Amino acid sequence: MKKIWVFAEYVNCTLDRVTLELLTKAKELASGLKGETEVAAVLIGSRIGSTCKTLAEYGAEKIYLVESDELSLYNPMLYAPIITELVQKEDPDIFLFGATAIGSELGPTAAAQLKTGVAAHCVDMHIDENEHLVAAVPSFGGKILGEILCPDTRPQMASVKPGIFVQGEPEEREAQIIKVDVSAITADNLPLKAISLEKKETEGVPLDKAEVVFCGGYGIGCKENWGKLEKLAAIFGGAAACTRPVVDEGWAPGEHVMVGTSGKSIRPKAYVGFGISGATHHICGMKDSGLIISINKDEKAAVFEVSDAGAAADLNRILDQLMIKLDL
Amino acid sequence: MALKIVVCIKPVPDPDYYDKVSIDPVTKRITREGIPTIINPVDKNGIEAALKLKAQYGGKVTVLTMAPPNATENLKEALAMGADEAVLLSDRAFGGADTLATSYTLAKGIEKLEGFDIVFCGTESADGATAQVSSQLGEWLGVPHLWNVFSLENLEERTLRVRTKAENGFMEWEVKLPCLLGVSRELNKPRFISAMGIIKAKNKPITTWGKADLDAEEERLGLAGSPTKAGAIFTPDLKRKGEMLTGSAEEIADAIIEKLRTAGVNIPTKGDACIIEGGARQ
Amino acid sequence: MQFFEFTEDQELLRKAVREFAEAEVAPKAAEWDENDYCPMELFPIMGELGINGIFAPEEYGGAGMGHVERAICIEEISRYSAGLGIALMTHHLGMSPILDFGTEEQKKKYLPELCAGTKLCGLAVTEPGGGSDFAGQKTTAELVDGQWVLNGRKCFITNHHADVNVITAVTGQDEKGRNQLSAFIIEKGTPGFGAGRKEHKMGLRGSVTGDVILNEVKIPQENIIGNVGAGAKIGMAAIGEVGRAGMSAICVGILRGCVEEAVKFANERVVYGKPIAKLQAIQFEIANIRTEYEAAKMLLYYAAGKKDAKLPATPDFAIAKYYSTEAAVRASKRTMDLMGGYGVINEYPVGRFLRDALASIPSGGTSHIQQLIIAGNTLSAFKA
Repeated sequence: MKKIWVFAEYVNCTLDRVTLELLTKAKELASGLKGETEVAAVLIGSRIGSTCKTLAEYGAEKIYLVESDELSLYNPMLYAPIITELVQKEDPDIFLFGATAIGSELGPTAAAQLKTGVAAHCVDMHIDENEHLVAAVPSFGGKILGEILCPDTRPQMASVKPGIFVQGEPEEREAQIIKVDVSAITADNLPLKAISLEKKETEGVPLDKAEVVFCGGYGIGCKENWGKLEKLAAIFGGAAACTRPVVDEGWAPGEHVMVGTSGKSIRPKAYVGFGISGATHHICGMKDSGLIISINKDEKAAVFEVSDAGAAADLNRILDQLMIKLDL
Repeated sequence: MALKIVVCIKPVPDPDYYDKVSIDPVTKRITREGIPTIINPVDKNGIEAALKLKAQYGGKVTVLTMAPPNATENLKEALAMGADEAVLLSDRAFGGADTLATSYTLAKGIEKLEGFDIVFCGTESADGATAQVSSQLGEWLGVPHLWNVFSLENLEERTLRVRTKAENGFMEWEVKLPCLLGVSRELNKPRFISAMGIIKAKNKPITTWGKADLDAEEERLGLAGSPTKAGAIFTPDLKRKGEMLTGSAEEIADAIIEKLRTAGVNIPTKGDACIIEGGARQ
Repeated sequence: MQFFEFTEDQELLRKAVREFAEAEVAPKAAEWDENDYCPMELFPIMGELGINGIFAPEEYGGAGMGHVERAICIEEISRYSAGLGIALMTHHLGMSPILDFGTEEQKKKYLPELCAGTKLCGLAVTEPGGGSDFAGQKTTAELVDGQWVLNGRKCFITNHHADVNVITAVTGQDEKGRNQLSAFIIEKGTPGFGAGRKEHKMGLRGSVTGDVILNEVKIPQENIIGNVGAGAKIGMAAIGEVGRAGMSAICVGILRGCVEEAVKFANERVVYGKPIAKLQAIQFEIANIRTEYEAAKMLLYYAAGKKDAKLPATPDFAIAKYYSTEAAVRASKRTMDLMGGYGVINEYPVGRFLRDALASIPSGGTSHIQQLIIAGNTLSAFKA
């Protein structure tokens, strides 16, 4: 039987959306394999049992529930050996991780312990005619896509950023819950100690849930224009985003509103970009948007080739006109 | 408390040129012609972190890389920044390595140095950006390791207080030396190279080690030691229609709002004013 | 004749200064030019990088490198801001008499802070009565009760607000009745000594240029550099080899800026359905800009290399300065023409390149003076 596992990331009472996206993908991969398959989730933490229902609804047929108060805070020195032991016991064929702050560390750590391979931050994956997992992985800022396989070792591991895959629809379903015995586990005497997790409250609509996104590139030129993007976003019930130079200049609040290969991937219904040149590493973060409109004073800007519509115009004037028309 | 610090760096093609990277249609390989090679930018944050700790506690900073022979140029830069010595791991046998084999080779190189207190890596390289070598190197070395460190606080009794980025927040940690830290760009601002540094660098040693110098298992090196294998490469096709809107700023703004409406976005209205096609208000 | 190439260390230095210039100079250059603001806050930072004391020995806090390396620093910075370039090069200009002719005490007293960039240096020679007429200057210095007392006025002095100033003054007449000059070090704050009116220049903005007033300025006897009467030699050595080298390097930087901006624009600007880089007329312009840049570069580094090899290089620097300043004006105009309407928009640096190049011509000796020097040397050196 081929087992496809997903690492369920449940932090601070929130199940990361990437887990649901990966479960949906795991189901899809399973249908591409011959013979019996089983999609399972590995859930580690403390007081996490309530999320099993959601995991089942999105595709987990089995859930390895690893619960202990010692595991309340993520610690790779605790989590990785648990994963490794489980893998060695159950021998999954494929193991998927979200390329989150935790997953980006935990995946490769477990892979090193298991001496297997991880295809990092894939943008696509499928099963080939040899029943192998083929992952499409970007490099050079997204300019090049390469296929990565892990033909000889198991499990074939892969990490995927949130927002790359689409979350499916939940279905009423029961999963078999396997409680893993971690009574002997202790966080004492470890040379690595997690002290605390602090979350910052984000204002407004989260970027990955916004229906319409107004994005500013280096061309916006000042903090004032960022403010206008935020106003537009607010009135539409959407979100404001930016590219890295805008964060570096201090015009935007931080990396959490950054879109691109080193930032977030988004797929809103509509994306309107201002002063964005169209460098691949940003485009890769928004290429799956429904409607892409770009404004850049340079008619030769590369961004127009990847937009549905555009205007070679002064973004300041367009912004001002939009604000006037929407009574802002 | 003199510290032995190792910084791993990777020479990469300059990211400013990545939009020029393409695939040769004949050889099907990536063309990097004319793109200069630089030290992977975030690795410099690692060098800076090491130099700051050395300035505070004394000790030695060794820069290490697994790369082709011309990487001595980049190692010289690191020495000019202030590192004390450099080691280049270079051998055809190391070629074709994925992250597991690369981190194994780096670990063997580090083991050949006489112990260490801290190893710094950058979070990810600009070209491959797998972001995995840091964690896997920590595993091969058998030391506690953290990835995505953006804050390094006091070092007391051989314990470091460190913060890593988390979704919408951060985690705080205590990690005992020896350890490995994968650092991000937010950690510090790497110093510029000074003329004095360039002069001092002339007397600093660069040592090259090949397969024969390392106590390594052959089947763990290079292509043989890489569980992941590369398949086809291609450039993604992101092209769209690119319809150009023309007219005055007002006309363009109207056209944008109309396109948003047809895409299914709710256009906000205010009070008794409503926007109709063509931009006239009633 | 050996093939001309920079050493590995010189290439690394260029890379280092370029990174600094791209990060700290390029983003603000237009603003400094518009506001005529001299970024003195960068001097201590450049000091730490070894730029301010690039050719001073390590024992005085310098980097212990030479004039080729100094030219590299000035070229890289001037590519983005010729205004900062001339402020820096003048700082070096003032340091060089102390370094080349000063006593051990003078070097130990002044050089460390000048190398660190915590103090600014300047050289004041030109007067309202004439700059080209160097020997005809009127500022006087009289030895009275173990102190030198100076009176006079200098004008067109860059870094006229400097902390450490090297001044030339008339200390007597020789047996033929010609002025005998001497060089002195005067510190800012000395009573009677101060910066006068600041000039509003049309180019090289971002550097401070203006008058220096000397009214009964009393300085210790040991503040004289070298011997009495050595002022002409000291002043001319500084201007001839350090000042002209600096101006050449500034204009090589501007020339490179012209090449880069012209190429960028020609590749991006599309008219008649293709980038203008495909048009022959544009290609001719680019070829000319490039050729002049390469020629100026060769002349500058050849002269600097000669100086570092301790060979006399005064005529070589005159040739380099004359050529590179005039070429920078020509190349800036060509680049402006190539850019059409965009060339006169201040968002693009080309207008500033042209103004900075024009202002470079009368700095460190006008083109007419350079031609006299070159002719004088040619007429004797090429005698059949």
